[in-house]
Amino acid sequence: MTVLDLQNVSIDFPTSKGVVHAVKNFTLQIPKGRRVGFIGESGSGKTTTALSAMRMLASPGFVSTGKIFLGEDRTDVLGLSAEEMRQARLSRIAYIPQGAMNSLNPVMRIENQIWDGIVAHEGKTDPAELKRRSEEVLAGVGLEPHVGRLYPHELSGGMKQRVCIAIGVCLAPDIIIADEPTSALDVITQRHVMQTLREVQDRIGAGLILIGHDMGLMAQSVDDLAVMKLGELVEFGSVRQIIERPEHPYTKELISSVPLVGGESFLDPADQPAPSKIEAGAPPLLEFKQVSKVYGAVTALHPMSFTLEGDTPKIISIVGQSGSGKSTMGSIMLGFNPPTSGQVLFEGRDINRLSAAEALQFRKDVQAVFQDPYACFNPFYRVDHALKFPYKQFGYSKSDAETQKAMEEACTAVGLDPSAVLRRYPHQLSGGQRQRLIVARALMLSPKLLIADEPVSMVDASLRATILKNIYDLKEKFGISILYITHDLATAYHVSDYVMVLYHGHIVEAGPPKEVIGDPQHPYTQLLIDSIPWPDVDRDWGSASDARADLDRLQAISDRPETVFRGQVPGFALATG
Amino acid sequence: MTKIPTSYLMNRAFTLVLTVFIAATLIWIIPRLSPVDPAEIMLSRMAAGGGAVANSDQILAQLQENFGLNDPLIVQYFKYLLNVVTLDFGLSTANFPTPVSELIGQALPWTLGLMILSLIITFIIGNLLGALMVWEHTPKLWKVAIPAAMVFTSIPPILSALLLMWIFSANLGWFPLTGSYGLLVEPGWSWDFIVSVLHHGFLPALSIVVVTFGFWALGMRGLMITVQGEDYTTLAKAKGLKNRYILYRYMIRNAILPQITAFALKIGLLIAGQVLVERIFAYNGMGKLLYDAILNQDFPVIQGVSYVIILMTALSVFVVDLIYPLIDPRIRHEGS
Repeated sequence: MTVLDLQNVSIDFPTSKGVVHAVKNFTLQIPKGRRVGFIGESGSGKTTTALSAMRMLASPGFVSTGKIFLGEDRTDVLGLSAEEMRQARLSRIAYIPQGAMNSLNPVMRIENQIWDGIVAHEGKTDPAELKRRSEEVLAGVGLEPHVGRLYPHELSGGMKQRVCIAIGVCLAPDIIIADEPTSALDVITQRHVMQTLREVQDRIGAGLILIGHDMGLMAQSVDDLAVMKLGELVEFGSVRQIIERPEHPYTKELISSVPLVGGESFLDPADQPAPSKIEAGAPPLLEFKQVSKVYGAVTALHPMSFTLEGDTPKIISIVGQSGSGKSTMGSIMLGFNPPTSGQVLFEGRDINRLSAAEALQFRKDVQAVFQDPYACFNPFYRVDHALKFPYKQFGYSKSDAETQKAMEEACTAVGLDPSAVLRRYPHQLSGGQRQRLIVARALMLSPKLLIADEPVSMVDASLRATILKNIYDLKEKFGISILYITHDLATAYHVSDYVMVLYHGHIVEAGPPKEVIGDPQHPYTQLLIDSIPWPDVDRDWGSASDARADLDRLQAISDRPETVFRGQVPGFALATG
Repeated sequence: MTKIPTSYLMNRAFTLVLTVFIAATLIWIIPRLSPVDPAEIMLSRMAAGGGAVANSDQILAQLQENFGLNDPLIVQYFKYLLNVVTLDFGLSTANFPTPVSELIGQALPWTLGLMILSLIITFIIGNLLGALMVWEHTPKLWKVAIPAAMVFTSIPPILSALLLMWIFSANLGWFPLTGSYGLLVEPGWSWDFIVSVLHHGFLPALSIVVVTFGFWALGMRGLMITVQGEDYTTLAKAKGLKNRYILYRYMIRNAILPQITAFALKIGLLIAGQVLVERIFAYNGMGKLLYDAILNQDFPVIQGVSYVIILMTALSVFVVDLIYPLIDPRIRHEGS
C-alpha cells in the first residue's frame, strides 16, 4: 500500500549558465502510515524532491524524467491538469512549511485560514460545520477553540507551527510533507511540536516525509531514512540500520557531526594555551554589577552580577531558549542596549559612560559574531571590504600590502583559502564560508573579548564543528576570552569553561559544563537536556502529552526561580540577586 | 478585540494637532523672513494700475494697520494662530478685499473632485497593474503590455496634458479645451452642469492618471515580489487554494498595506502638486489659485493654501491611522 511512489525522478533547473541537475534519478516508495526522513545539507535536493510530488517546484525547475504516483489509486501526478493538481493539494498531499513565523497570513484569523482550505476543496460549506471542523483539528494539535479567533501574531512560534499541522491534516491527506517543521523552535517546543505531528499523522494513517538536517531529530521521529547528497539518494534504510550501521561515508559524516553531551571532544585543545593579553592585577575584563533589563511590563533580565577576570582566557557559555534573555545579555555587553539598572564595566570603566576615545577603544577590544552570516555583509561590496574597513578605521593598517597580509593570515587561521574567498561578493559564498569570514574579521582586530551570539545556528550541521573549532582556537591560540551565547547545550558542553543556564531572565544553574550539562540538577536544565534529540533510536523521547506536561512544569519553575551553583572556575565569579 | 485602544487614539490625535501647529507656525515665520512688504506690493500694484497714487503714505500706513503689521510680533503671532483655528487667513492682496478663505472655498471643491478622483483611479489601476506584473498566472500579453505602458510615467505631466489636449480636443474635438465647466451652463445641481463638469474634468484627470499610475505600479511590484516569496503564499498554494483567491486575499491584501500610507501622504501633495495641469486646462482649482498667488506675491493666499495642504495631509494621515488597525491586526497590539 504505497501512498507516494517516486520512480527515477530527475529535476532540472535551466539557468543562463546551463542546466543544473538538482535531483538525479531519485526512486523511493513511501508506504501508508510510514514516516520517512529526507536528510542532507542545504542544496542536497531534499526539499526539491518532496515539492515535486506537489508540483510546486520553484520556477524554472521541472521534472525532466521519471514518474510520480500518488495514493493507492496510483494517480499520475505529472499527468494531472492544473485544476486537478490544485484539488489534490491539501486533500491528498499536504505540506507543512519550514518558517513557523511567517507561514500564516498575518491579516487573517486562524480559523479563516483553516476554512479557506476546506472551502477550496469542498465548495461552500455551512459556517457552523466549518467552525466545528476547525475546532476539531485545532483540538487535535492541542490548541484551545479560542485560538481560532486569534491572528497569527498573537501566537507563539510553537503554536503557529501546530496550527500549520492542523491545516495540513484537516482533509486527512494520503501523505504529509513536513519541511523542517521545527527548525525555528527551541528544543523544548521542538519536542512538543514533533510529538504532536507524529500523533496526528498516526491517527489519520497518512505517510509522512520529514525533511531535515538533524540526525538526532530523525532518530527520534522517523521509521526510514533517505540520505541525500548533491541531488542523489546515497543511502536508504530503516533509521536503526542507518544510524547503527551507516555505509556511505557521507552518512557517517552526518552522524558524527552531531555534537553530543559527553563523548569525545571535537576540539583538539592546544597543549600550551596562548597567554592572555591582560596583565595580572589589571581590573577585571568584564564585570556585571546588578545588571537588569526591563522592556515595558516584561523583565528580560533580572539583576545579576558576575566578574570575568580575563587573565587566563575563558569561554563562558550562556544557554537558554528563545526569550530567555540571553541575546539581551549579549547586546548589553556590547553596549548596544543600556541596562535598566546596574553597571557594565569593561576593564573597570562603565561602558555606557565612555568618552569618544574610550568608546572607540572599547569597540576595538570587544568584537562580535552574530547569528545570521547572510545579514552581516553589505551585498554591494566584495567581502574583503568588510575585513579591510574596520582594520583601517581602527588604525591597525600600516600599508595596503600589510592589510592584505593581515586579511590572508586571518582567513588562513579560520581555514579559508584567501585567494578563493576575498575577492568574492557575499552571495557567491556559502553560509559556512561567510560565518568563518566574520570570525576572521573579529580576529584581525585582535580583540580582548568576543561576544558570539548563536554563531553556528544557521549553518549546516557538518560545518558547525569546524566553525566552533575556529572560535575555540581564538581562545587557545590567540588568548581571546569569549562569551558564547547559544541554545545548543551540546556545543556549550564542549567549548566552554563555565556555563550559565538562563531561564526567563534568571540564571537557574551555573558552573563548569561537566557538572551543569553532564549532570543537571535544576529541573529546567534537566528538561532542556531531555528534550535534545539524540541520534539514538532506543531513547524514549516521550509522547506529546509528556511534552505538554513538561511545558506546564516549566510554568511552575518560572514562579520560583533560584540559582543552583555547581562549582567554581578560577577567574570567573557569579552572584545573583 | 476590534476596538482601537484609547492610548493609540490619543497618541495619533496629539500627533495631528502638533503637526498642524508646527506647520502653521512655520508658515507664519517664513514670509516674515522675507524683505518684501505686502502692503508696499499692493501699493505698487495700485500705482501700476492707475498711475500716481495720491496720499500713498497714508494708504500704506492704513494698509499696514489693517493687516495688523504694526502690532508686536508676538501679538501678530497669537492673532494669527487664533485666525488659523477659525480658518481665517485675512484678505487676499491680489484680489483685495476678497477673504482668502472665500478664494480657497471656491477652488477647493474643484481640486478635491478632480485630484482625489484621479488619485483613487490611479491608485486602483496602478496597484492592480503592479500586482499583475508579479503574479505568475497573469496572461503573457499583459506581462508584456504593462511594462511597456510604464513609458507614460516618464512623460512630464505638462507634456501629457498638452498631448492629450492636442489629440482629443484640438484634433478630434471630443473634449473642451479648457475650463472647469461650460460657459453656457449655470452652476448648480442640474444634470447639464454635472455632465459639463465631467466632460471638462475628463482630460485633466486622464493626464494625471496616465503619468502617475506608474508610481503605484512600481511600488506595488516591489511589495508583491516580497509577498510572493513569503512562506504564507507558498502555504496558500500548498493548501490548494484557487489562484485568484491567493492573489486577492493573500498577496494583494498584504502588499497593499504600505501603499495605503503612501496614498494618505499623496492626498496633500496632489492638491498642490498638479499646479501646471490645472494651469494648462485653465481649471479653477487650488493649483491655479496657488500659481496665481505666487505670481502676484499674494502672501495671505499662499499662506492659506499651504495651510490647507498641510491640514489635508495631516487629516488624511490621521484617518489612515484610524483605519489601519482595522486592516492590519498587528497594529492593534502595538498601540496597547
